[in-house]
Amino acid sequence: MTSTTSLDERTPRTRTGPLAGIRVADFCWMGVGSVATRLLGDFGAEVIKIEDRTRVDMPRRLPIYKDGGKRSYGDEDPNPDPNRGGLFNNYCRNKLGVTINMRSPKGRALADRLIAQSSVVTENFAPGVMERWGLTYEHLNDVSPDVIYARMSGYGHSGPHQGYRSYGPIVQAVCGLSSISGLPGREPSGWGLSYMDNIAAYFNSAALLAAIYERMHTGRGTEVDVAAVEVGVSIVGPTLLDVSVNQHLTRRPDFPTGNRLEDQMAAPHGVYPCDEKDRWVAIAVFDESEWEGFVRALGHPSWSHDERFATQAARYAHQDDLDELVSTWTSQRDPHEVMSLLQYHGVRAGAVQNSQDLCERDPQLDHRGVFFELDHPVIGPALFEGVPLSFSTIAPDNWRSAPLVGEDNEYVFKGLLGMDESEFDELADEGVI
Amino acid sequence: MVDAMATPFGALGASSFSGLRVVEMSGDPAGELTGKLLAQLGADVVKVEPPGGSPTRAMGPFVDGHRDLNHSLTYWFYNADKRSVVLDEGDRDDRAALDALLLNADFFINTFSQLDVAANGLGYDVLREKNERLIVLSVTPFGLDGPWAEYQTSDIVGLAAGGMLFSSGYDDHSIPPIRPGGNQGYHVPASFALIGALLALIEREHTGRGQLVDVSMHDTLAVSPELANPFWFYPKVLVQRQTCRHAQPVPTQSALYETSDGRFVYFALILADPKPWASMVEWLASKGLAADLAEPEYSDLAYRQAQFDHVNGIVEVFFLLHDAATLYHEGQERGLPIGPINALEDLFEDEHLEARGFFQDVAHVDTPAAKYPTFPIRFSSIATPAERRAPDLGEHTEEVLASARARSSEDPS
Repeated sequence: MTSTTSLDERTPRTRTGPLAGIRVADFCWMGVGSVATRLLGDFGAEVIKIEDRTRVDMPRRLPIYKDGGKRSYGDEDPNPDPNRGGLFNNYCRNKLGVTINMRSPKGRALADRLIAQSSVVTENFAPGVMERWGLTYEHLNDVSPDVIYARMSGYGHSGPHQGYRSYGPIVQAVCGLSSISGLPGREPSGWGLSYMDNIAAYFNSAALLAAIYERMHTGRGTEVDVAAVEVGVSIVGPTLLDVSVNQHLTRRPDFPTGNRLEDQMAAPHGVYPCDEKDRWVAIAVFDESEWEGFVRALGHPSWSHDERFATQAARYAHQDDLDELVSTWTSQRDPHEVMSLLQYHGVRAGAVQNSQDLCERDPQLDHRGVFFELDHPVIGPALFEGVPLSFSTIAPDNWRSAPLVGEDNEYVFKGLLGMDESEFDELADEGVI
Repeated sequence: MVDAMATPFGALGASSFSGLRVVEMSGDPAGELTGKLLAQLGADVVKVEPPGGSPTRAMGPFVDGHRDLNHSLTYWFYNADKRSVVLDEGDRDDRAALDALLLNADFFINTFSQLDVAANGLGYDVLREKNERLIVLSVTPFGLDGPWAEYQTSDIVGLAAGGMLFSSGYDDHSIPPIRPGGNQGYHVPASFALIGALLALIEREHTGRGQLVDVSMHDTLAVSPELANPFWFYPKVLVQRQTCRHAQPVPTQSALYETSDGRFVYFALILADPKPWASMVEWLASKGLAADLAEPEYSDLAYRQAQFDHVNGIVEVFFLLHDAATLYHEGQERGLPIGPINALEDLFEDEHLEARGFFQDVAHVDTPAAKYPTFPIRFSSIATPAERRAPDLGEHTEEVLASARARSSEDPS
């Protein structure tokens, strides 16, 4: 875990990393876009997040506060302090923050000046918003020749549903990922998170890096169109081909298969109760040698010699019986204890870890320094999800926690754009910045 | 612009990615998807397989009537767009052929643990001596070092240890957490491996040197449970799983509504925001089903929140009287975020995906053309190739080895 940076080091400094020197005019908000551009900032790009002072980014408002207690993210305070939001801090580390009122002509002119000094522009609004501000690819390319313009929407910028509204759970429903998750014969259990916000963000980061690499070679910019729904369909997995090649429909009584596998005879394969309330361990046994390890780990219980469990096929056929016996064994044990015992015997097993486990108990994440800490002037020290990649010659440059509203207005408008004091004050007075 | 996006990029000419050579030796879907993503960007991906084939060739589902190494749909899904070369690690000539391939490669994707590397001599320290531009993408269950480095994994084990499984399942907590589907435990590390590959490539432009990128499935999953982590970082509260919607610190309302055709739509009924409330009431009224919701007292937020169960009951009836497709399109036309719980077969009928040309017909040697999803990243001025079928086992051994031999005789470095 890296040490907390001190608060007097918040003035933007030269960044290090493969993307140093690339400036990004970042119109992203919410999750997908912010997570995508966060990666650019982590590796040295100067990501300048553009916000509207009167309509701050939603993660600034969601009540994920240090002293917020147990409440749902929809349970907002009436007039939340936009600098207190933990989710915003999580999404916007290593970015600069400026405010521009894009509904005013002066604001739009100012945005053009910023874009002229940037070589990448990013956004994840519903189609039409950037166009309403005149920010088409053609315009951006005029203002900043060979610009990369990354557009990260739910449905993409063409097609009959491009104007549809979406967020993570909608994308998961539409792309099929929800329907393939659950027990047979009842409603889907789907996803307990906006999985598609994260995974679409990762694809958007990759799209930006690919465009940057291509421009290093050819000098040409590009417009990028990534639709989260299409990202979802592209990673739905092999079952999609079972439908398209075999016409094996998934809307049927024995699908989805819960924690059991349909196409591999894995058994036991499931999530088993442990010694405390709502603690669980996942176990997956695929073949004879793993079964032998499993039986050894359990100390050769008499039932393990039962002919119902004599072969992988027999065990697969008798999963109900097997699961009951396995549950009896796990339910007297701690999930991490089961995990390490089974893994010692070569069996795939994992404690069902919650976020406290990830931060405080997992020795592997601790060893690899996945979470790190940064200080924040309003929030104080907080943990962050680091880049989960370990490179031999490069590293993330974690230089600052998320910006306060408009924190970098002076640095960007005066310093980068050369705005004089009187214009700056005038724009501030008029509510443009 | 819109038209350009809807057409294939064949006219754009080759991109910088089309010249990149990738050698892939993956034993699981995470490494294989990493290779496929680079192939979809345009790289030439040579999949090196043992004589018995990649383990995914033995995984179902299979093409109906063909249960053999060349008809696994799991293999097809993860290995489309690649070439297949069979090399026997124990054979001296084959090992020399592998070394020749790696000598001229830009990327080497593998899923070796440190123990594997110690045995096969294919560690980064050895490889970089011969090819300093090589980027090694190591994609492993828990990473190359640390106390769990040699632990084994699977999709459900990865999702469990990484935290996502804890958030997914049903309101009824006597039911265990339920694995969210589609092998995502392997897809998250693959998406990060692609990011790592591109960062290393950009860095190589600056330095001329490659590097080792150590991608741990576990690390990538542990940063991906979305709100569960910030809920621990800040208020130090745990989320609890809730049927097909966000796990949250407290229980929330169901967001699944049944429809007249026995399907479900996802819709979060939120009363706080006046605009969607007005749209909802207008929509109900247009069908004569608004009951008393258009009455003036409902314009008061506190009043309608106090009536939540009554409002929700009316919405439930309304949804039950209409089919999922009508609700999806009419609701969205009114600006309401509603999504049908699509089955996979529905995707091939989706007019939007159709209009964007998202699926592409791909035929196999002895199997008629079927629809494949395409690369979900679209560039206006970077060509990405059309989808190609997965190779039969060793289909390209001859041609790949012949050109590798030709290259090493030209360049004896």
